[in-house]
Amino acid sequence: MPYYPDQRYALEMTTIQREQTLPEDAIGSVEVRQGASVNLRDIVARGILPSRYIMVDAAGQMRLKKSEDLGDILKVSVGDLVTAKEVLAEAPKGRRRVVAPVDGIVADINNGQIILQIEPETVELEAGLDGQVIRIQQGQGVVIETYGSVVQGAWGNSRRVIGTLKTEPNSGLESLYGEDLDIQFRGAIVITRRPLRQTGLDVMEDQNLGGIIAPSIEADLIDSVLAVKGAVMLTEGFGSLRMSGLVYNMLNNFNGRQATLEAVQPNRWQTRRPEVIINPSGRGQARAIRPNLNQTLTVGTNVRMTRIPHAGDIGTVVNLPKTPILLENGLKVLCAEVESVTGEKLTVPLANLEVFGR
Amino acid sequence: MSEEHSGSILAVDFGNVQTRALLIDLVDGFYRLVARGDTRTTAGFPANDARLGLNRVVEQITAVTGRKLLTNDGKIITPEQNDRSGVDTFVTTASTGRTMRTVVVGLVPDVSIASARRALAGTYVEIVEVLSLEDGRSVEQQINAIIGSRPDLIFITGGMEGGAEEPVLRQARAVQQALRLIKGGRKPALLYAGNSVLAPTMRDLFGTLATLFIAPNIRPNLEEEELEGAQAQLALVYNDQQAKRGSFGALTRMSRNGVLPTAQSYNLIADYIGQSTEQNVLTVDIGSAVGILSAYVEDHVTTSIRTDIGLGHSADSLLSTVGAATINRWLPFVTSTNQIRHYALNKTLVPGSVPETIKGIFLEHAFLRAGIGALVEASRPTWGKRLNLAQNTLTPQFDTIIGAGAGLTETGSSGFGTLLLIDAIQATGVTRVQLDTYGVIAALGSLAYTNPEAVVQVLESSSLETAGTVFSISGIPALNRPVLHVRIKTSDGQVIKHHVSGGHIWVYPLGIGKTATVDVSAGRGLSINGKGRVKVTAEGGTVGLIFDGRGRPLPLANDAAGRAAQIPLWIAEITGNPPILIADDWLTDAVDEGMGLDMETEETIRKSKQRGGLFGGGRRKAPAKAEKSVELRPDLRLKDEEPKEELPVRNDLDDLRR
Repeated sequence: MPYYPDQRYALEMTTIQREQTLPEDAIGSVEVRQGASVNLRDIVARGILPSRYIMVDAAGQMRLKKSEDLGDILKVSVGDLVTAKEVLAEAPKGRRRVVAPVDGIVADINNGQIILQIEPETVELEAGLDGQVIRIQQGQGVVIETYGSVVQGAWGNSRRVIGTLKTEPNSGLESLYGEDLDIQFRGAIVITRRPLRQTGLDVMEDQNLGGIIAPSIEADLIDSVLAVKGAVMLTEGFGSLRMSGLVYNMLNNFNGRQATLEAVQPNRWQTRRPEVIINPSGRGQARAIRPNLNQTLTVGTNVRMTRIPHAGDIGTVVNLPKTPILLENGLKVLCAEVESVTGEKLTVPLANLEVFGR
Repeated sequence: MSEEHSGSILAVDFGNVQTRALLIDLVDGFYRLVARGDTRTTAGFPANDARLGLNRVVEQITAVTGRKLLTNDGKIITPEQNDRSGVDTFVTTASTGRTMRTVVVGLVPDVSIASARRALAGTYVEIVEVLSLEDGRSVEQQINAIIGSRPDLIFITGGMEGGAEEPVLRQARAVQQALRLIKGGRKPALLYAGNSVLAPTMRDLFGTLATLFIAPNIRPNLEEEELEGAQAQLALVYNDQQAKRGSFGALTRMSRNGVLPTAQSYNLIADYIGQSTEQNVLTVDIGSAVGILSAYVEDHVTTSIRTDIGLGHSADSLLSTVGAATINRWLPFVTSTNQIRHYALNKTLVPGSVPETIKGIFLEHAFLRAGIGALVEASRPTWGKRLNLAQNTLTPQFDTIIGAGAGLTETGSSGFGTLLLIDAIQATGVTRVQLDTYGVIAALGSLAYTNPEAVVQVLESSSLETAGTVFSISGIPALNRPVLHVRIKTSDGQVIKHHVSGGHIWVYPLGIGKTATVDVSAGRGLSINGKGRVKVTAEGGTVGLIFDGRGRPLPLANDAAGRAAQIPLWIAEITGNPPILIADDWLTDAVDEGMGLDMETEETIRKSKQRGGLFGGGRRKAPAKAEKSVELRPDLRLKDEEPKEELPVRNDLDDLRR
């Protein structure tokens, strides 16, 4: 039987389709048309985030016997913008009136009540990619297709940043702390091979870094990472894990290139992965090959191992035994024999192997 | 849904990690499990389309049976054709996807709202807001609370049959106003299960504003609670929600009854087995994201679904729920809270992965035991009312316990899976243990409404793996002193006598389908479900007859060194393999606890390789130093109870597992 391993992309020049949507609770509209070309910073959708509702008992204040009678004396309609103290309803000859308690929108008029929505916060959605809009999701966002390189990580802090990829100084990211502002790192997405620590976050703040790509953090740093303004992506996970050689080399090759870091925080329902997308530097789209969703594991497939003791290691499948293998820890599962980049032969459960997308 | 008779059935369950398919067909006039397949669920990245996984798993069945089941455009062929292609019935269940954010609206927290919570415990929901007459908020605040919680479902209940109507209507009008204000395509569904006199009014209030489901009153009076009708409607709501989600929309149209919640299957199967055997039954499934426990107790079935209890996606929330100390309680080595957290967090990132190291497997099983323990604790109050458990902290006797989920069924040893189950539940008395190795429960639940005959026949055809019968003593037994006196008379007249010592497990390998008369008496001050002596006809299985002399509550040592002497020994006693030796440096504080996952160093791996793994693997060569370290710790093994002298335990189903 073919085995379809999990995929975590590390691809150069590939076709990328990404959904960009407004926050789930936003009510919005898409600002571009299907087929339109968009740049990184273009606004593709705008929306408003729901805010508090205020109920104004207009019929009661007007001392109406029947709430239906409110219609005759209303001065506003649903959808109207109103300012505080603006008249909402007024009896003939101005004997009684109801005024808006706050600035807002008339959201509903029902049962003698005028319901105002306090002026909501607006949100704008950037394209985040140079590409073409291939699908519109009415009121929510767009799907953009582009081509470029993509490196996916394991965890992110729910931030997005567009910036220049920069490899950390030889002395390490933390060596930047307290230095005079180094303009080359301002707004940049800095790649560090070392686990990220609090000092690294301090540097991010101190030097105004746009983002950091690091292999791992200690669990007790999660809250701090979630609180920083910039985007942080972990390529491996939690603890003191080193960055996979393949991932580091790929990122290092893009040093100085503009990239979009989508530090998506994974959860059970999240269909996206944290990733960095590097837009092409003028080379032809023809070279872009789509990822293979149906990639199976075969002898010769390059894989990344996901669990300790080999987490992050890269290798090539050299054999696929047909029967389950008893592991050192007593589990009996289907495995692959993998030759690591150091030439070591490893027996690894199929469930612990990822492929790169093609 | 009417009862019907059909031939071949394809049942597919979409889990959060695995998609499993079963082909059930008539063989000599009886429904039998014919073929199975499983693959990774593809509802998430990169495909975001569950149908891809469906196609893959169906192709596996085609490869095994030669039967074509898919059309060229990826649809299931129904009904079965003359050339044997296709199936008569295609049914689906799912536990994947987002839980339904639910607002509960009722009158009194201890009455209608409490009943609503219990009804909701049977499906995949997250209660995000509760509105009652007693919450002290204004209507405006309640409306804002409803809208702000972004619900998928609003569940209105309250009012007894023939009782006052106005309080319920007042709550309903607030909900109506909230629904009027929710814009866009995010209108929640609405389920009403209150005073039935108000059902037509609810139709008037909500008919144009939301998809409305109406169920019988869940609390017809103060004494009675009727959850079944609401739970059936909740299954429809779940299906309705799934239909709105991309690829599941197509699946709901393809399958016979839409997509039903997997959890309901456990409820239905526990109910069926409980009713047919007139015994207490417990089914437990701990998956990647969700833990499900269904218990049939004294003619009544209850189900708890916990989306915070799972071994993959929910590993970190499980840790938050139970606490690191509860996990640590099951670890035979010294570790830190941070290391446990790292394990949980990394597991959430690769939820379908399996542990490769010895420490990893102990951590995984510590999470599993703690998770099931939490499910049991959460469910106890519902059994307590029927069993008067208030005076007894032990788990009541369940005559049958069924374990499901890869964590329990894919350990590589039925004995190990059984041990995990009885440890976590702390089974008492005499219990038949079964493992849902092939994931049949989910499939059968989806057939229960339309083809109960198939459910009965498949269940009775050994589709569940029977591990055996466990005899557990309650009380605190004296260590290494005889505490269980066993006399087994097999069907061929052979008599076996054995004294099981305190702190130990003894297995008599009575095979699958065999029964024996077992006469067991407990030592002084101890009991078997409250009795000093029990004589029963017991069923064997892939493990056999298991005599647990460890006591209840299970006397786990308080320190890692003590547990290192206990847990590996118990695993060895139930699996029949040599015990794993815990290295000395795993029991000291010398390990750098700040190094996170570095605890599983190459040195550890090297040592584990020398030992030949947890179950020995037939090539155990323990280094002299490690042997010495064991001698330094309390040795629970009796001089005359060397594992090699025991009869080998053969797990006949092992070879069938992939």
